[in-house]
Amino acid sequence: MGLTIRQKADRIGTFRFISVYLMETLARWVPTTPELEAKVLFGRHVWDFAQHADQLGRRTGELRAAAQYSLRPAAGYFKVLEAVASAPGTLERVAGFYDGFLPDLERRYRGYLAETDQLNDEPSVRIIERILFDLPRLKGDRIAFAAQRADLKPLDAGWATRIAALAAAEREFVTDRSPARTSAAV
Amino acid sequence: MIAAQGETKVVGGVVLRRDPAREPCFTVVQTDAEMQDWPDMSPISRRERLHRHMNNESGAMEIAARCLVDFPDTPWDLRMALARQVSDESRHANLLLQRLRELDGFKGEFPIANFEWGVTLMLEDLPGRLAVQNRTFEAGLIDILGTLRNRWREAGDDVTADMLEGILADEITHVRFANRWIKRLTEQDPRVLLKVAMAVRFLGRVNQQLAPKPGDVNAVGVEWTEERRQAPAVNVEDRREAEFTEEEITEVLKQAGFRSILPAGSLGE
Repeated sequence: MGLTIRQKADRIGTFRFISVYLMETLARWVPTTPELEAKVLFGRHVWDFAQHADQLGRRTGELRAAAQYSLRPAAGYFKVLEAVASAPGTLERVAGFYDGFLPDLERRYRGYLAETDQLNDEPSVRIIERILFDLPRLKGDRIAFAAQRADLKPLDAGWATRIAALAAAEREFVTDRSPARTSAAV
Repeated sequence: MIAAQGETKVVGGVVLRRDPAREPCFTVVQTDAEMQDWPDMSPISRRERLHRHMNNESGAMEIAARCLVDFPDTPWDLRMALARQVSDESRHANLLLQRLRELDGFKGEFPIANFEWGVTLMLEDLPGRLAVQNRTFEAGLIDILGTLRNRWREAGDDVTADMLEGILADEITHVRFANRWIKRLTEQDPRVLLKVAMAVRFLGRVNQQLAPKPGDVNAVGVEWTEERRQAPAVNVEDRREAEFTEEEITEVLKQAGFRSILPAGSLGE
């Protein structure tokens, strides 16, 4: 049966919101993280999430929503995003983001692919496939960072596990759109 | 100004934004007099040039990143350009760190200063920041790199020269998008021009206050002669590629005593 047009737009718009939020989180961390290697890691990936947001936003315009339409996620899931952004130290930022949060996001993208009609919604499928192609590279950069900065010690060794658990606990991440359609200017 | 109390510092009587986070291995200084740099291309001078450039690229990355955070309502296409700039500057900082290490240098080997961050982050609007960071500091880097790539090549280091060529190509795109967006934003709202003018005036005041004077010496005893204080030779061709107007290029040439990388008299031919 697949998803309705509105459900597709809302899911893609939510993924776009998340991508913009992640872009901004990394951007916020660039000047506030002391280690140059971490700045470089975050800085490179700002552009990846911007591109994801852009591609998703172009697709929303084809799904009877505004171009670059963003939909704020469900309240519980938004709190997970805030938790990721609140990491207390460099290693918590890195581990919470790449080890705790991104695998859950990847599962949600794969969930969308399983849910939608592959032929009818092919443009969305292609965009998400490209995003899923990028994510292992980001993870690879994260692993390279760990090798470069093996000297760093975590402030909270359980941070990434807690972020992963928080994300996994939020089954629903897309909210129902209110009847009046909005175009978020993010 | 959006810098809150506690987020600023005072240098030579000028209020600037407090430094971004740096590792303890770095000695962060506030003035040119505290920097260690040499005019020649000796091994230590080469490492210092790479070290300083690495920190400057890191600063450019940090400034663009803060623009993404501070101005979320900016048109999406401009945010995309800033995000791309963050990524480019990140690559540059990484390249320079790698090259520094290849030449037996290391992070923290020389003092660093975050002047561009300190000035640009005092500005409360994006057109002002683009005017100062992209159209002034990065455009200045276009001039400097235009000369430096040749100096490294003449010194027999093609690896660094080639790396600088790649960085220069990226910097041109950063200046160009700022030129385009300032023009577009000004067309939409002429008051933007006032913000740009105020930002440039602020930079002028800071420069007047903090720039080294003739006879000053740096931390390794090298004197700031008139020659060293001169603006770099203007990279006319690449400024054109970055979409500065002929009038703007002529103005910069005047400030540089009409020294350009192109042969004299070729401007406008």
